[in-house]
Amino acid sequence: MISDEALMLEFRGGSHPAFEQLFARYRGPLYGFFRRRLNGDQRAEDLTQETFVAVIRASARYEERALFRTYLYSIAMNLLAAERRKQFRDSPPGEIAPEPMTNQAPDAALWIGQALEKLDDSEREILMLREYEQLSYAEIAELMKLPVNTVRSRLFRSRMALKEYLEPAQRVSRAAAADEKTESAKLTRAEGEAI
Amino acid sequence: MKKIMHPIEPEELMAYLDGELAGDRATATANHLGECAECQALVAELRSVSHSLKTWKVEPPELETPPAIATALAENRPESRQVFRAHRRSWREALGQRWPAVAWAGTIAAVLLVAFGISTFQSRLADSVSSPPRESVFLVAPETPEAKPVGGGGGGDRDKIEMSARLQQPPPVKFKATEQHQSAEGGGLIASGPMIIRTAQLSLITKEFDKARSNLEAILKRHRGYLGELKAGGSTGSGRTLTATLRVPADQLDATLTEVKTLGRVESESQSGQDVTSQYVDLQARLSNARNTEQRLTDLLRNRTGKLSDVLEVEQALDRVRGEIEQMEAERKNMSNQVSYATLNATIAEDYKAQLQVVPPSTSTRLSNAAVEGYRSMADGVVSLALFLLSNGPSLLLWGALLFLPARFVWKKVRRSFAS
Repeated sequence: MISDEALMLEFRGGSHPAFEQLFARYRGPLYGFFRRRLNGDQRAEDLTQETFVAVIRASARYEERALFRTYLYSIAMNLLAAERRKQFRDSPPGEIAPEPMTNQAPDAALWIGQALEKLDDSEREILMLREYEQLSYAEIAELMKLPVNTVRSRLFRSRMALKEYLEPAQRVSRAAAADEKTESAKLTRAEGEAI
Repeated sequence: MKKIMHPIEPEELMAYLDGELAGDRATATANHLGECAECQALVAELRSVSHSLKTWKVEPPELETPPAIATALAENRPESRQVFRAHRRSWREALGQRWPAVAWAGTIAAVLLVAFGISTFQSRLADSVSSPPRESVFLVAPETPEAKPVGGGGGGDRDKIEMSARLQQPPPVKFKATEQHQSAEGGGLIASGPMIIRTAQLSLITKEFDKARSNLEAILKRHRGYLGELKAGGSTGSGRTLTATLRVPADQLDATLTEVKTLGRVESESQSGQDVTSQYVDLQARLSNARNTEQRLTDLLRNRTGKLSDVLEVEQALDRVRGEIEQMEAERKNMSNQVSYATLNATIAEDYKAQLQVVPPSTSTRLSNAAVEGYRSMADGVVSLALFLLSNGPSLLLWGALLFLPARFVWKKVRRSFAS
């Protein structure tokens, strides 16, 4: 498989198929990046497109030594920060801008999102970059402009904290699932008896 | 949990799971994990957190290449390419049907130029072997880019872009040569080798104190060092001491030490070396990162038009990054200076001998001393009498006046009785 960097260099040289490959590789992950951090499908899709447009426009300035992934996510993070600022500005005073997801989100998204919200901003970002974007510690360190060791310790802290936050929620969701099961079992039994 | 008992830190366990632990540590962690139930439990917890997070899946909407991207792709014509293409068209128009012939002529000319360039380079290289390194700095860089555009007369856009990129970057040969030159100045500092800050302490006792001081300066001069600090002092009845901080080129430290030791008897000596290679490399990396950021911010300022507040924000960020760069640059210079110049703290004490005063003071001195003493005691007496009179005179006069008449009466009576 051709590396991202080689594809980007090809694209810089004028090859559109190279860009299409990059687009196919990163469209999903980038959409996920925005979707998990913002409220609304459409906005996530728009920002994904804006990120790729920025990549196209800045392709002449792409430096060979930069990892494409870090480069792409740094653009995405800038756009995300701008979007959050805009949301904060637009929201009426006194009302806190809506944080990630929650609207029409499935159960998993809801309880994980709520647990993630309890984390400190920087720790949440590091954890999400590692778990969802699958970035290495060094890549996260470069993106967040932090030393690698700090990234590692914050990641550990956030995972431990998240475990605590997830446990009660997990218990509740398991209990709900168990209730559902018993309900349905009862129903089937009742149906069976009726027949 | 008793974390202290584990040879592997919990964070390392996590890094191991993430595939972020290097060879030896990874093996050690795997071995420890095989036998430690507590760590296995931690690993299970970490895995369960990751697993829970993975349950939040996001599916992108099924769409073909969005129109915004298609438009951006269609518009994507870097400025340099457009300029180059415009040039090419105008040349073609100007040259009309004879274009292929001109292209051939251009290619031949390019080949000849390259050949000429190589021969000139080789001859200059031969010259440079005998000349000092400073002159070899600009050897390669100017020729290569000049030969390229002519050769690429019919070539693609990519050549043009690559060439401009190369023109912007400092030529590698120049960089290397300059660094070597600097290292020569810095007293044999090798950029790729370990960087060690060397410090030595030396304590000496000498009988010839004055000679030692001048000798010390001569030694410094011989080894191209300089005096960082010098303090000399002493009091009567004890020996004098000299404390000096000498800075000598790192490779001259041993020779200097040997020579300084000949100045007297060595009382104590110690040497230490602090390895700062990793700090230096780290600093270099941070510096180059900051420079990249500065470049990107400058590009952003130049190419983007946005709101005033955004522009101000970028300018503030640029100022901050420039400040950081200057600070790191100073730190780097200071570190290289410390590495290239070793520090020698020398203390030289005089071997003091108490001497007997065998010669008595002369008679004239004794006479003059006695005269001075006599004059001083006389003056002191007069002054104290005056003081007494001034302080007690008035009361004495009063009592005298009061007692004069009764005393006279008593005196007369006594005289009369003796007479009768």
